[in-house]
Amino acid sequence: MLKRLFKDFKNGLWRENPIIVLVIGMCPTLAVTNTVQNGLAMGIATSFVLLSSEIVISLFKKYIPNNVRIPSFILIIATFVTFTDYFLKAFFPDIAASLSLFIPLIVVNCLILGRQEAFASKNPTHRAIADALGMGLGFTWVLVVLSAMREFFGMGSIFGIQILGSWYPSMVIMILPAGAFISLGILVGIMNAIKRRGN
Amino acid sequence: MDTKISKLVLTLTVIGIISAVALSFVYQWTNPYIQKHQAEARQQAIRSVVPQAEEFEEVEKKGQTFYEGYDEVGNRVGVAMIASGPGYQNVIELMVGVNINEEKIYGIKILSHEETPGLGARITGQEYKSNFEDKPFGDYTVVKRAPQTELEVEAIAGATISSTSVTKIVESAVKQIQNAYGGGA
Repeated sequence: MLKRLFKDFKNGLWRENPIIVLVIGMCPTLAVTNTVQNGLAMGIATSFVLLSSEIVISLFKKYIPNNVRIPSFILIIATFVTFTDYFLKAFFPDIAASLSLFIPLIVVNCLILGRQEAFASKNPTHRAIADALGMGLGFTWVLVVLSAMREFFGMGSIFGIQILGSWYPSMVIMILPAGAFISLGILVGIMNAIKRRGN
Repeated sequence: MDTKISKLVLTLTVIGIISAVALSFVYQWTNPYIQKHQAEARQQAIRSVVPQAEEFEEVEKKGQTFYEGYDEVGNRVGVAMIASGPGYQNVIELMVGVNINEEKIYGIKILSHEETPGLGARITGQEYKSNFEDKPFGDYTVVKRAPQTELEVEAIAGATISSTSVTKIVESAVKQIQNAYGGGA
């Protein structure tokens, strides 16, 4: 049983990674990954919402009639997102300010609704927790790698710490939306190459 | 399809009620902190544009909110207001602090913007903001070289639109303050 839980957890990290393999949740992926701090905060916020809603939905799935399951999931997800929004605004105002609109937009992140539909509504709670942790972590690590690439090439810094000196001509395009597409494409390409070699 | 409508309605209603109750507790818990941060941020912004002031008072004039700054003996040393206008990508909101008696701008602070990082976003930098420090009231022109007269504002290289937007917002804010405080009299 422990083996299966571990498999559920590992699933999201690599084999079914939400961003690189499933290519879902693109809106925050492309929009907030211009600095490592933003990418990490977004990853943690999304993981929290994913974990809490998977727990609640897998616990109460028996009582939710099939015809209204999607609106019910959305209501539950929206509750946790609103909680996250208030919480960040109250205790981490700087992060809340730099992510601004993208926190409420977690509601429509298809990663979250997708996992409820595909996993939490069909599996017992302990497996849902493993799935949420794996998917959340899988989402977060890709965001962090992506934002590290963009921040490094775009500003010569990582986590706000200047690494390259002033001789480095910042590639502004990496911080702009176009840079998000370019880095994501390169990242997916690298991952596919690694996978192919593994096979 | 055999689930009764009443059960569907009941399910959604129950979830809605539970969510609403839970969130109103969260709101009550977090709102004081949120209010505090907002007040602090505003306070700091006012302080940075009217540096001589020790105390501030919120005044409503002609449907606009102004922040009057007083020094320790109670003289009004400056007035600040929040103004906004269209930028290159989205609305730019900034605060302007002026010295009414000498008809001079103390300085500006950008509160929120979505200008291009690395280009238009440099409106928040000291280099650009210093364009407005100690400026007399008037109509400003944006130039792409070092300013030669007091009323010229040096544009940020590659971000003329952002530079012009900020200048326009500042200009209109100054006019509003002059209007409300019997400008030029």
